[in-house]
Amino acid sequence: MTSSRIRIAADSVCDLPADIAAALSVSIIPTYVNIGGESIADDGVGLDRERYYRDLPTLTTMPTTAAPSPGDAADFYRRILDDGAEHIVSLHVPEKLSGVLNAMRLGAEAVGRDKITLVDSLQLTFGIGLQVWAAAELAQAGAGLDAILEGIERVRSHCGVYAIINTMEYLRRSGRVNSLVASLGGLLRIKPIIRVDQGEIESIGRLRTWSRAEQRLRELTLAQAPLDRLAVLHIANRAGAERFLESIHEIAPSDTLVIETTPTLGTHIGPGSIGVATLNRDWRR
Amino acid sequence: MSKTSIDGRALKQLLGAGVKGVAQNVELINELNVFPVPDGDTGINMFHTLNRAWAELDSAADAKASAVAQRFAYGALMGARGNSGTILSQLLAGFAEGLGDTERVTAPLLLAAIDMAVERAYAAVSEPVEGTVLTVAREAAQSLHGGLSIDGMLQTLLANAQAALEDSPNQLAILKDAGVVDAGGMGLVCFLQGIQEHSCGAPVELRMPAQSSAEKSAPAGSPVEAYGYDVQFIMRGAALNVGKIRSDLEELGWSVIVAGEGRMIKVHIHVENPALPLDYAFKSGAALDDIVVENMQLQAAAVARQRGRQVAEPKPAPAAVIAVVEGAGMRGVYRDLNCAHIIAGGAGKNPATEDFISAIEQLDAEAIIILPNNRNIELAARQAADLVEGERVSIVATRTVVEGVSAMIAFGDAGDGQLSPAEIASAMREAARSTTSLEITRATRSTTLQGLDIRQGDYLAIIDGRMSAAAADIKSALLDGLNIAGAEGKELATLYYGGGLSRAETEDLIKGLALKIPSLEFELIYGGQALYPLIVSVD
Repeated sequence: MTSSRIRIAADSVCDLPADIAAALSVSIIPTYVNIGGESIADDGVGLDRERYYRDLPTLTTMPTTAAPSPGDAADFYRRILDDGAEHIVSLHVPEKLSGVLNAMRLGAEAVGRDKITLVDSLQLTFGIGLQVWAAAELAQAGAGLDAILEGIERVRSHCGVYAIINTMEYLRRSGRVNSLVASLGGLLRIKPIIRVDQGEIESIGRLRTWSRAEQRLRELTLAQAPLDRLAVLHIANRAGAERFLESIHEIAPSDTLVIETTPTLGTHIGPGSIGVATLNRDWRR
Repeated sequence: MSKTSIDGRALKQLLGAGVKGVAQNVELINELNVFPVPDGDTGINMFHTLNRAWAELDSAADAKASAVAQRFAYGALMGARGNSGTILSQLLAGFAEGLGDTERVTAPLLLAAIDMAVERAYAAVSEPVEGTVLTVAREAAQSLHGGLSIDGMLQTLLANAQAALEDSPNQLAILKDAGVVDAGGMGLVCFLQGIQEHSCGAPVELRMPAQSSAEKSAPAGSPVEAYGYDVQFIMRGAALNVGKIRSDLEELGWSVIVAGEGRMIKVHIHVENPALPLDYAFKSGAALDDIVVENMQLQAAAVARQRGRQVAEPKPAPAAVIAVVEGAGMRGVYRDLNCAHIIAGGAGKNPATEDFISAIEQLDAEAIIILPNNRNIELAARQAADLVEGERVSIVATRTVVEGVSAMIAFGDAGDGQLSPAEIASAMREAARSTTSLEITRATRSTTLQGLDIRQGDYLAIIDGRMSAAAADIKSALLDGLNIAGAEGKELATLYYGGGLSRAETEDLIKGLALKIPSLEFELIYGGQALYPLIVSVD
């Protein structure tokens, strides 16, 4: 199904479910998880997210995450163009946080820079997914490049991504977000609430217990209503995510998704966490 | 001897005699602790308050009575420690105010000054409790009248104060339960007794009382705090052994310098616990002089702040926190949580009003929030807030050090400048209230209190300041305490260990508890506090 001339591409950090991606002809390039010398693609085939997160707490060495290579990126773009696309809008994990966008740029240069528009989503997980979803719908409806880019902008300014980090242990082990860890006084059971905004992860609250943190997340989510789209995100905590969804059902659209978040993020945030990605109805103006 | 009026010199000697009256009874007053816990500190607090007041008079040679009273009151206000010390400082401030401007104290002036003293002390306490030092002061003043001579007035004052003190258990049930009279009231009686007994003008010599149990050292083998304290003092004696003193002190800290010989040596040392070298020197029999204790972490922070300001910090911080924290580990937690100024202290080591004032003056912040972390420190903190100019200091009246940690966590969230200082303080208050504190310590005496039969040496579980359980072993006290604190319905217990309890011992304690309260998660942190093996926050 390649009716539109503009095709949408993204990396697997966007967490757009495979069936939606397929229906909207969105191409997803996998990022990688390195475990003990092995590099596994987060493509839904090589890496089973559920199993990965189940094993994560017992791994003696922390897995690392990696961007696709520029060669992978070039092949990826070549396939989409060979499939009949005239132009590609490619949305990615923020440059501030990852090398993905750089690899994609190098790949794009090898294929034909003018055929590809790279977009720093300034978001993570389904915060990227919401932008990809809207862009793909616009593309399928025959929108031009400017209209698609403008739609992406509007989604970005109307979306919210919030999460509770269940334990600081993984952030500490990964060596990332040191300032967040250092300012905790060794209280690693604390539950920070994070927000992704302008390509950065920031802590906007720290609660002593899960129930208080969940209450805060609920308040933050309710404040985003009315919603056009909603995904409840989790890392190895589907039951927790579904319970949370139940508690905000009055504002949840009927097509609300429950998504297990990419290992690229989940490896650092750790099992047990839940979050939301919201899109306020006003994005359509 | 009957006097119709007294001049400044005589007033000074009377006040000095009062200070001496308290100084000689510090331990006695300390022991009048309603709770059988090892942090009785009313005596030491009142003594420090008066000692600071006396320091204002010591060097001055005022002949004018009102000037003597004003200096003394100023010193007391600055040196006020603990709630009783703070109330005492208000009594003295009211006394000075009541005297007005006068060369000599006459009987009518004395009467007016005493009335003003009581009035001012009552006004300083938002919810006056009868059966405390306030009642003793008021009752003491009650039957004074203009017909009395100065000596007669002092005599009546003391007799009334003693009667009121003896009656204090009838006014305050907790005193009756514990079988004690009010400690602050006792301190005031000692002060008045010293004055009354002083009839001739021999100059008053003061001595430091023996260290209270609360000031004894932290357990050996505790992790060392990164910065610690810089302690300096002079030792005087007949034949001091410099070599031995140096090697002994090197066991206690680092950067040791010992200079001098024989009769006088100067000591300089960096230590984690500043009480250790002082205790050592004191016990050696030498006389101590010129004692200076400085917190090196605060010095380092000040330097860092100044450097930072030169580079990229033109604006003062919107809000900064001052907290009173005991224990090297606990101070580390506060430091990490971005506490701008930590005053080392707590139960048994209450900071003075002027400690708060100097901390406030050091901080370049638009608003300052103080966490006293102890009920008995709150009044001195409030007094400091009242004494500094402007209205930029507010108190978040945390009762325990773990309530303070919860408040600090909330403070960290308010860092992006979107909240006003009042909103920040209110968020901190709410966070502090949401935490339940459980403190475990050992009973210093056998008693029956709040329905509990307590034997000396028992482990006591104190929940939010309330004596809640007593048991012969720490494990039972902790389990009972957690259950009474409603741990079944809670998620997290953070255990700060100290007071001689090791990490391994604490881990053993938790192993047993995890089975009994499966819903609860446990978190273990070194606190390093001296008198409480465990301080626990339950959330």
